[in-house]
Amino acid sequence: MMEVTASFYDGKTSQRKEVRLHFDPSGRLRIIGLENYPTYALSDIRISSRVGNTPRSIYLPGGAKCETLDNDTIDRMLGLQRSGRWQAFLHKLESRLGYVLLILIVTVIGIWGLVEYGIPALAKRVAYALPTSTDAALGREGLRVLDQVLLSPSDMEENRQRQLSVVFDNMTQGLPDDYNFRLEFRKSDRVGPNAFALPSGIIVVTDDLVLLAKHQNELKAILAHEIGHIIHRHALRSLLQNSVVALAIASVTGDITSITALSATLPTMLVQAKYSRGFEMEADQFALQYLRTHDIPRKHFADILSRLEKESGYNSETHNYLASHPATSERMKMFKGEE
Amino acid sequence: MTWECACGVSNRDSKVKCSACGTPKGMVWTPEGFVRAEEAAAIPHDLVTVPFEFTGKVGEYFKIWIVNVSLTILTLGIYSAWAKVRKKRYFYGNTLLQNAPFEYLADPIKILKGRLIVVGVFVVYTLTTNFLPATEPLFGLLFFGIFPWVVVRALTFKTRNSSYRNIRFDFTASYGEAAGVFILKAIFVGVTFGLAYPFFAHSRSKFAMDHSSYGKTRFVFLAPVNSFYFIYFVAGLVGLGGVVALQVFLPLFSFFLPPTPAQQGPGLAPMIIALLAFGLVVLLVISYVKTETINVVWSNTSLGKNRFKSTLRFSQMLWLYLSNAVAILLSLGLLIPWASIRMARYRLDNLQLLPADDLDAFIAAEQEKVGAAGEEILDFFDFDMGI
Repeated sequence: MMEVTASFYDGKTSQRKEVRLHFDPSGRLRIIGLENYPTYALSDIRISSRVGNTPRSIYLPGGAKCETLDNDTIDRMLGLQRSGRWQAFLHKLESRLGYVLLILIVTVIGIWGLVEYGIPALAKRVAYALPTSTDAALGREGLRVLDQVLLSPSDMEENRQRQLSVVFDNMTQGLPDDYNFRLEFRKSDRVGPNAFALPSGIIVVTDDLVLLAKHQNELKAILAHEIGHIIHRHALRSLLQNSVVALAIASVTGDITSITALSATLPTMLVQAKYSRGFEMEADQFALQYLRTHDIPRKHFADILSRLEKESGYNSETHNYLASHPATSERMKMFKGEE
Repeated sequence: MTWECACGVSNRDSKVKCSACGTPKGMVWTPEGFVRAEEAAAIPHDLVTVPFEFTGKVGEYFKIWIVNVSLTILTLGIYSAWAKVRKKRYFYGNTLLQNAPFEYLADPIKILKGRLIVVGVFVVYTLTTNFLPATEPLFGLLFFGIFPWVVVRALTFKTRNSSYRNIRFDFTASYGEAAGVFILKAIFVGVTFGLAYPFFAHSRSKFAMDHSSYGKTRFVFLAPVNSFYFIYFVAGLVGLGGVVALQVFLPLFSFFLPPTPAQQGPGLAPMIIALLAFGLVVLLVISYVKTETINVVWSNTSLGKNRFKSTLRFSQMLWLYLSNAVAILLSLGLLIPWASIRMARYRLDNLQLLPADDLDAFIAAEQEKVGAAGEEILDFFDFDMGI
């Protein structure tokens, strides 16, 4: 036999009545303090789950309700009735510091696994499953925007352009032909020596980069790196990955006030930088493979990398070729490796 | 010389009406309308203020929050619907008026469905506009068109799932009424280059309040438009002053920084300082508008014959926003529960009910259930209803 004090509301008006709820062992609830002491079968009433120490609601048939602060007695009564176990489990999790710490550790491991393996693997599968035509529009649009804001037409001689295009065409021979590989020349003072790959096969090199190269093979190494970005669908994958990360962070931090939510952009940026480093590694691997199969010494890549690094000291206005790349020294080690 | 209005704001003697709430000088608001202060004293109604109380505790909520975040991540977001309900139930259940708690009654399954719809729409939108950028304006137009519907559904879901003393709140408005505010008046704001924005903000709050009710008793929004113009006017001055101060002080400040090599152009440090200072001015303006809007809206809303009074202070709110942001950043998010609790406590500690009716006599109304998609969309875009 258990009793709790409660407030009774009939659900028709806001009037409050102080009552006692009497749970008897046969599984009935009697309300003491109302006219005729009405009784209800426990199977006909619903009791709200426990959240911290907030008042508990006991919903009666017909829309009336009782509120009580005596959470512990209600829990004991429910324990005897063996009902509401999932909700009781949640409250248990929420009320013991030990469980909270445990679940925190599991979560941190879970986040790490998702960021490190889950999301990239998922994005990779989705990106490879989509036909290459999906990102054709992405590439075209990307180049149009870049032409508007950052790039201007190349000053390079026609001959040199044509010659490099032939080199490029030779390099892309034998690669899957559903990519529309195309080499574009642009000039840009703000970008400096740089090359970048747009989805669907467009690769842009700046005049400064061509001037910086002292050997044809150096340009080949850079181009191979950019082809690697395209073959591995990096643009689409980073779009997918970054959207998932942004959505995930937004859903977790959804309960912060809007002004402080700005602080959520920091982890998003960190994760995105990490992903872009991963992509650079993959593109480097591709370039390495290309150099090896064509008997080009790896040191050519290392040479142009070190020159790019020197160059970037002067041109820090915008993101440069090295900004999102792994540490140059690390990469140079990889490319010098077996010389 | 100044005179103090019944709402607590002091006004210069030259003002005929209170700058914050529009009450004429020497008058007070009573259930019978504006009357002279002396006469009001003679009207026999109980003007005892009933404070709202907030009893949430940081330690208790911290554990609930951690479990919410953890299970949300471990279930890849599915649990977020249950997390939202448990969080809201904690905050509602700890909000007391006359020792009775509020209650949040939403069904997590409905919220989950709403969230899935939002995520689906978002994915379709992102993919379509990425691959076919030409469709962007089309989406914009579509969204503009359904926005009034979204607002109505969101407010309906929110109010119908809130109850106090076993009587639910309610919201009833048609698409047309919402479109009048969120399409017509929004366009008007654009046409007037933003000059009509305070007018729009006023209509938005009025729309939200006037269509809300507690049981069968309606909320009535009484604030005059000029009280909103006053808020935005002061906010404009604050912003202007901030920008001028930046112009003066930032160059002075840069003397103390180590010089950067000339060929690198302006270094990073002054840029970061300038950005932070500018962010501070924006925060100043936003918190002022938010604080004063809440004060004006609640101090000018009636429920039956009862009134409310909100006495938030701008300096306090600014301090709360600033310290919360810094604490959350430095603690890598672990202080989010602490920030949420102290914000809720300050807001509710400064809200009072001025009862004139018998609080036992509110009557319940019949209502239907609605889906959660609207509320989830508004939540997703973090839209502020100004209440």
